[in-house]
Amino acid sequence: MKQIKHNITKNWRVLRELFYLRFHGLAVFRLDFFAPFFVDGSLFLIQLLAFGVVYSNVETIGSWGRGEMILYIGTFSLLNAVNMTIYFFGVIRIPHKIRSGELDLYLSKPVSPLFRLTFENISPGSIPLILMSVCIIAYGASELESELTFARLAACLFWIALMEILYYEMEVMIRSISLYTVSMARMEQLEEAGIDLCMKLPGIAFYGVYKVIFYLLLPYGIMATLPVQSMIGEMTPQTAAYGIGVVSLFSAITCAMWKCGLKHYNSASS
Amino acid sequence: MRAQPAQKIWRVSMRKAKKYWEITKTYMKTQLVWRADVIFNMIFTITRILFAYLLWGIIFQGKEMVGAFTFHGMLSYYIVSSFLSQLEMSGGISSEIHDRIRNGTFSKYMVIPAGIELYFMAMELGVVLFYLAFDLIAAVVWIFIFRIQFVFAAEWSVVVCAVVMAVLGMVFMVQLNYYLGLLTLKYQGIGTFLMIKNNLVSLIAGSIVPLALFPETVIRIMRLLPFYYVTYLPSMLLTGMCRDEALRGIAVIGCWCVIIQLVIWITQKKYFRTYDGVGI
Repeated sequence: MKQIKHNITKNWRVLRELFYLRFHGLAVFRLDFFAPFFVDGSLFLIQLLAFGVVYSNVETIGSWGRGEMILYIGTFSLLNAVNMTIYFFGVIRIPHKIRSGELDLYLSKPVSPLFRLTFENISPGSIPLILMSVCIIAYGASELESELTFARLAACLFWIALMEILYYEMEVMIRSISLYTVSMARMEQLEEAGIDLCMKLPGIAFYGVYKVIFYLLLPYGIMATLPVQSMIGEMTPQTAAYGIGVVSLFSAITCAMWKCGLKHYNSASS
Repeated sequence: MRAQPAQKIWRVSMRKAKKYWEITKTYMKTQLVWRADVIFNMIFTITRILFAYLLWGIIFQGKEMVGAFTFHGMLSYYIVSSFLSQLEMSGGISSEIHDRIRNGTFSKYMVIPAGIELYFMAMELGVVLFYLAFDLIAAVVWIFIFRIQFVFAAEWSVVVCAVVMAVLGMVFMVQLNYYLGLLTLKYQGIGTFLMIKNNLVSLIAGSIVPLALFPETVIRIMRLLPFYYVTYLPSMLLTGMCRDEALRGIAVIGCWCVIIQLVIWITQKKYFRTYDGVGI
């Protein structure tokens, strides 16, 4: 118990220092401070417009009406916003640090390398993106025909937290491949293609082999779908169990890949 | 014997064309180095088709028509639009100019014995010619895999108009990206703006949803913009729709090419002298 408390205190202090250092860096390049907000904000607003156009021609997409789709876009935007704010800019640098041998500096410090890599490049300029996503979700909820209860809202928050973990694990897992191979550019391309597709297309549209791919192999299809289903009351116990199972499975795979990968790592001289 | 003025102009033009053709050939050969990229770019064109197939598949359940589209007409539109979008690779020009001005190596383009803008056009031509066959193969493969009853324009005159419009659209995009790159001379950092521009262009060029589904007022405004004619209208023409807009479309995109060229000349004249070659 004492050891856990010590670890938490130490990590909290490291996190605080990383935050100060990051702010110092951002103050040097002030022009780029709000760049993620403007770029990703425009992306999701354009998506809202595009689906607004689709819904002006059709009543529903599958069983989902306009409200559900706005919720879906808002939820994906929120997952992306938290990702951009907290860990995206740290995690994407993992392949470069492995290739250049910079990972040595992380391994030699008395703090978990992954912890430092995750939190050393937080992006406060993305925080408005979180607020924008919450506004989109609130707008989607107001467009819903069914009633929104506190229990459903709590369930949605739980699933968003769980899916954020899955998002993080997918990013780390894909980049851990760098510990085994010389280049993993294709995997990043695959990740980009999967996210690009699933942020436009809700999971209810997948069937057959597409469902296997986007619900299990590259589970980007469930990331925003499950929180929305829990909010609109479409989630069955089987779906919930499946979602928790997928997150657990990817947690185990990511953990194993990272730990085994570090054993493979032979620094830049290899 | 002194050569006639017309013959002289012809010879000079041919010599220039030969010079830029060499640049085009060099870039075609350069693509061979990135063979894996070519293959993966071909494979990843599937995401757009898959998006259209799944989204419109679920929408068309129990419906014959959405807007003016049948299911197979809609997928044919996405196939052609995806093919044209894939060929339009001029986005790299603005990033290249932006990065080189910022790190002070833009001088590379100033010292070569070729016009900078024409150099980028020749470069783009080389890349497009190389990818043309591969993207065509990818499009045909997706048609067979997704069992699309491909809808294609019946009249050859419309096909010719669509091809001319698509070429002019690509020229316009090269000009636009060249111009945006030059703006680094004034604004120093335009990376964020370029990313927002890419997001916006994907919507107003009809890559996400066909512009025909937008309200009539919006379509009327879009017709005044050049992006309507870059991938959307050529795709519609090639899938047998909007035939009456063909000639007007060529005239409008042609005018936009002239307008942006004038803007480029003015910008070059004003800002090239401010470039000091030491970076920002």
